Amino acid sequence: MADNAIMQPTRDPRATLPDLIEVLLNKGVYLNLDLIISVSDIPLIGVNLRATIAGIETMLEYGMMRQWDEDTRKWVQQSVRAHLPLAEDEEIIAKMAGGYYQDNFYRTWRPGSAYLTSRRLIIHRRDPAETLWQAKLSSIESITPLSEPSIGGEERIRILVRLDDGSESKLSALEPERLIRLVQEQRGAALQPSTGRGSSSSPQPLKQGRMWYLETLSGGGTWRGGEGILTGRDLTWKSPMDSRALVRASASHVRNLRWEKHDNPTGKAHILIVETERSSIRLAADDIDGWYDELEQWSASEQKDPAAGNPREKTDEGESWH
Amino acid sequence: MTDSGAGHSEESETIAAAPPKLYVYAIVPAGDYTPTVNGIDGSPVHLIGDPEGPRAVVHTHDGGPYDGADDDVKRWILQHSEVVEDGWQGAGSVLPVSFNVIVRPDTESGATSTAQLEGWLWESKGALSKRLSELDGTSELRVEISLDRNTFVEANDEVRRIKDDMEGRPAGVRRLLEKRLEKTEKELADREADDLYPGLRARIAEKCQGIEEYRTPPREVGQTPILMVSCLVTEPGIQDLGAELTAISNEQPAVSIRFLGPWPPYSFADMSDAFAGMSGQDRPSSAT
Repeated sequence: MADNAIMQPTRDPRATLPDLIEVLLNKGVYLNLDLIISVSDIPLIGVNLRATIAGIETMLEYGMMRQWDEDTRKWVQQSVRAHLPLAEDEEIIAKMAGGYYQDNFYRTWRPGSAYLTSRRLIIHRRDPAETLWQAKLSSIESITPLSEPSIGGEERIRILVRLDDGSESKLSALEPERLIRLVQEQRGAALQPSTGRGSSSSPQPLKQGRMWYLETLSGGGTWRGGEGILTGRDLTWKSPMDSRALVRASASHVRNLRWEKHDNPTGKAHILIVETERSSIRLAADDIDGWYDELEQWSASEQKDPAAGNPREKTDEGESWH
Repeated sequence: MTDSGAGHSEESETIAAAPPKLYVYAIVPAGDYTPTVNGIDGSPVHLIGDPEGPRAVVHTHDGGPYDGADDDVKRWILQHSEVVEDGWQGAGSVLPVSFNVIVRPDTESGATSTAQLEGWLWESKGALSKRLSELDGTSELRVEISLDRNTFVEANDEVRRIKDDMEGRPAGVRRLLEKRLEKTEKELADREADDLYPGLRARIAEKCQGIEEYRTPPREVGQTPILMVSCLVTEPGIQDLGAELTAISNEQPAVSIRFLGPWPPYSFADMSDAFAGMSGQDRPSSAT
């Protein structure tokens, strides 16, 4: 391998122009002031003057997406998809400025945009991209306006969402009543065709929940928030920022589970280390003890029952990666 | 739909002799940097702000936001990036500003756009200087790794079985089998990509000071994207990352790698948290 020339990055504009355009439209500092005339939330490329930015934004706010012609719709879906992960057949119905009231360590309103899709209601911050809150439309038990005094003393209409797991969240939106109505309309539409779907394909999780993963960078470790899912098949952890799960371990790969004293974003003093054939996975969670118990049972059952096997059979090409 | 009357922008009042605005390209640290290139459509650029503090690279602008045909937008974006690049090379560190950020005067207080921007630079001085020093000497690289489906599935039994089955079948059946073959190939490749992802990401992350995924539509048919990341690196980091990618490429013939840059750290310039004064626990915190 030593005789191979080291790969060098290319700056050839013929190869990099699309990337440069993407990065300049989507990244960089946004001055956070109303002294800006226009910071396009949706880039201009590809639309040609068919819809001006104001047109797109206004129509998204009003939930009029459906009235657009096919091409424009597709294009907007695509540009939104660039920073907000959507399922293949998931469509944006409406978008407006909004926020989520975070009520744990820090009680604070976290600003972003409220997106209503054909499946979910999402509060998403664009840059750095982070999903602050989301719920499947099918899991929304009720969505109602809530009047409360703002910091300045005047009454503001907030949105109270109650989910079928009994939890309640408080959201804000530029036009709360309109958003509530759109959600209710969409919920009616979403409930009918989607029944019966979705439950069959993936195995029922044994445990699932918010979990932190310690990623190693050149300068040290960084805790990243995401979701851990344990099924009979494997343990995965995925950040909403990533396209694929960053942790994927089957029970047969787990060598050892142990505790370590380590700073982490939860209130717990210890983190859990899952040692596999490939790596040591460092995890933190508010319910890390529950995870430990579940993982212990899971990996033990695998050792007793080798017939359960690894259903993700790999082809021989994968060998060199282990 | 192109009717601008629907918008809430103040665009409609662009009457003659409107007070000048400032189009902003980048923020640079204190120092003796002076821009050596022109901006969009040849506009001369200058610096705004205190010589001791962070300064903004701008041009004096009289119109609204840039808006037009794709080719024009592409040209403007390249010209914008040249100014950012000049600041990056000349001033050592730069916070690139997005395309089409324009500062206007405050009509109520009567403050000029220059005064507005100076005020903002002054207020944000601490946060801007901190981020500029963190980014000092860094570059952004982009790495895209995809799986070449044809190469990958060649050896697969199931694929071979379907292919054998297709031999000598009538056209209609063949079409059906081709569909099935394509679906099978995609699923196999996607599963392989899932399996390769954790290891590849860990190897790349270890060579970077920061790493962030981005999404683009697939560039080529027949390829399944595994990961696409922006990497924040210092000068020696470019070689380290290149060496790691060379190793990956040697180990796995079915992957293809795009390696782009180095660029100014566009993807790592975000400051919205610092500005909003938020210290939410959702932000990654440093450890170890």
